[in-house]
Amino acid sequence: MESLEFKPSAPRTLGVELELQLVNTRDCDLTRAATDLLGLIAKAKHPGEIKPEITESMIEASTGIHAQHGTLRAELRELRSALLAAADRLNVGVAGGGAHPFQRWGERRIVDHPRFKHVSQLYGYLAKQFTVFGQHIHIGCPDGNDALYLLHSLARYVPHFIALSAASPYYQGLDTAFDSSRLNTVFAFPLSGRAPFVGSWDEFRGYFERMRRAGIVESMKDFYWDIRPKPEFGTIELRVCDTPLSVDTAAALAAYAQALSRWLLVERPHKLTEDVYLTYTYNRFQACRFGLDGEMVDPIAEQRSPIYADVRATLEALRVHARELAAEDGLAVIEAIARRGNDARWMREAYAGSDSLPDLVWRQVERFRKGQ
Amino acid sequence: MSDLFFLPAWPLPLQALPWYALLLLAAAIAGEALQRLLRLPRVLGWIVAGVVLGPHASGALGAQDLAGLRGVLEVAIGMVLFELGQRVDLQWLRRNPWLLAASLLECGLSFGAMFVLLLALDAPPLLAAVAAAIGVATAPAVILVVVRDLRAQGQVTERALLLTALNNIVAFLSVSMLLAWLAHEYAGGWRIALGHPLYLITGSLALAGALAGVTLALLQLLGRRDEAQFISAVALVVLAVWAAGALKLSVTLTLLGYGTLLRAIDRRRHFVSLDFGRVGRIFVMLLFAITAASLDLRLLPAGALAGATLVAARYLGKTLGIFAFARPSGMTLRKASLVSLGLMPMSGLAVVLVSQTAELYPKIGVSLATVVVSATVMLELLGPLVAHFALIKAGDAAEDAGR
Repeated sequence: MESLEFKPSAPRTLGVELELQLVNTRDCDLTRAATDLLGLIAKAKHPGEIKPEITESMIEASTGIHAQHGTLRAELRELRSALLAAADRLNVGVAGGGAHPFQRWGERRIVDHPRFKHVSQLYGYLAKQFTVFGQHIHIGCPDGNDALYLLHSLARYVPHFIALSAASPYYQGLDTAFDSSRLNTVFAFPLSGRAPFVGSWDEFRGYFERMRRAGIVESMKDFYWDIRPKPEFGTIELRVCDTPLSVDTAAALAAYAQALSRWLLVERPHKLTEDVYLTYTYNRFQACRFGLDGEMVDPIAEQRSPIYADVRATLEALRVHARELAAEDGLAVIEAIARRGNDARWMREAYAGSDSLPDLVWRQVERFRKGQ
Repeated sequence: MSDLFFLPAWPLPLQALPWYALLLLAAAIAGEALQRLLRLPRVLGWIVAGVVLGPHASGALGAQDLAGLRGVLEVAIGMVLFELGQRVDLQWLRRNPWLLAASLLECGLSFGAMFVLLLALDAPPLLAAVAAAIGVATAPAVILVVVRDLRAQGQVTERALLLTALNNIVAFLSVSMLLAWLAHEYAGGWRIALGHPLYLITGSLALAGALAGVTLALLQLLGRRDEAQFISAVALVVLAVWAAGALKLSVTLTLLGYGTLLRAIDRRRHFVSLDFGRVGRIFVMLLFAITAASLDLRLLPAGALAGATLVAARYLGKTLGIFAFARPSGMTLRKASLVSLGLMPMSGLAVVLVSQTAELYPKIGVSLATVVVSATVMLELLGPLVAHFALIKAGDAAEDAGR
């Protein structure tokens, strides 16, 4: 039984998990390689952790705990090198991106592991469709109340993270017209969406207990929320990002989350009411569909603005905090994305140049290797 | 003349039957039956249909009919080799050179084991060497069909395909050199002994390179249209088979090289995952049935013991070779054992090679045939089964395939 004790952690420390695609080098479709790859990596020395995910075509790489963007980025790069060294020996390509552009979900194979088999049994085809690839960012919090405050105040910025990281415009062989089609797959799960609006950890525990007694969940893992507390780590986990095409972007997104968290917790710029969720699903849709050009509505100020403009305004507010955290490099990357466009845009341009989805995947593989 | 002149004569004139259609029908039915009732790979059914209808069993298909189908056979072999070539990634060998080492050792050891065994069976050294060299090759059609049927993906599949392509090349090179040596012994001078293999190798590779270049240019012109790609691919493969034959080059090396080089130069992936689809399937089914039909089962008892020992020696050599470099090449021993099972199928091409040898050198052809044919017959039936279950065991098969 999970006690749901919130283990305090150093505030604003960071950790990142990246779900990555494993493709063959011939036609660049997803391939079955996770088990072999993990077997090979287990023997090599590398930082962080590399684990299996629900299907044989994906793996998850996660970092340790970091106080700064620079060390986080360094670890992500080391993880990438370890991964590529093993993948090269097996002739497997590793790519970022939120969804594979043309894989057929029916072809996926669930990894032989009790939890994954359970999920597959419960959710049927949704489990195989869940072959999508996200970045999760953990942010350390000193206690449960702060964690919940941060969780709810970050909600307003969820569209930023969706639009900045969006990298799944193609799905099942078609242009979805979305910048992030991946999140549509997540919505299909009954326990997706957002956490209930409760302000104290005790209240949250009460909520969780009721859900558990009702037999709806067994652990926090059963919630597929956009942001969820992770009490055993002492963090909140932001789960809306597509895995970007390079690890440097992943590190920059984490730095943005870190600076934002510092600002939100130190200055507490917004008064927190459930009203933050009034426009939540609308904004989220706008971010998924139109990316940085989407329009988000500030529920409190009742103002509309394009997401890229709101990102820029936020970056201004974060300047001091970024300096304190030594996160300026990371935020410079975010600024560049807001100005030049996200990975989804890069993917559409790459596809327009070659007219071939396998070729697009191959470019993603090359970009992951090169790293910017 | 009766009033019913419009009715056909009775019994129906059998000689007008389109034998290839009958063979195809029988193969399809037998394949489905085996797959549904016994959960065995379909390819076994195709083989059984061929053997049963063949001139050596029921005789429904005579040797003449088979000879008439030779063109189909050649196109089918061409398609198989081209596709296998496309699946060979030369870059992989660069990134993981242990694979090349494993391949060479696997070829060397299986050759050595078969050679020594045949010598022990009192075969003359050159004859033994030719037979052993032929035996080094894994049947490309078998492994490809099994991979297709199971929609297999993964390390065991990829490695079995790569090693198959490599051991076919090694087998071809050694056989052509040995035959040149034979030519020297029997009749010709050194000019033939050196010139012939040299011509085969450089000529085939040059033809393959030219074809790959032309194909890529054509594809860039056509753009990415599946249908146009498919049709031009079929046409080009037929042309390649014809050209290799007309120039007296090696079909094996030309088509394997064609596929491999096309993939290597196609940097922007114009020609990805080419699939001969249903048309290809018809050709491959006929390939299996026709090859099986030409197997002379009567040779089996005479060569059974020698054949079985040959099969065992070959397997042992391949397994040892692959095991030796399993770890450095990044594979567990369990998967290595599955890869070596995947290499079990012996090429029906062996029989073709034997018959070609027999044509060239009738004095040695017959005795060589007995041993190689009995081993081939055993592996023809055993090989697909073993490869099929090896890929399932490896977890490479798609979940709903092969059930």
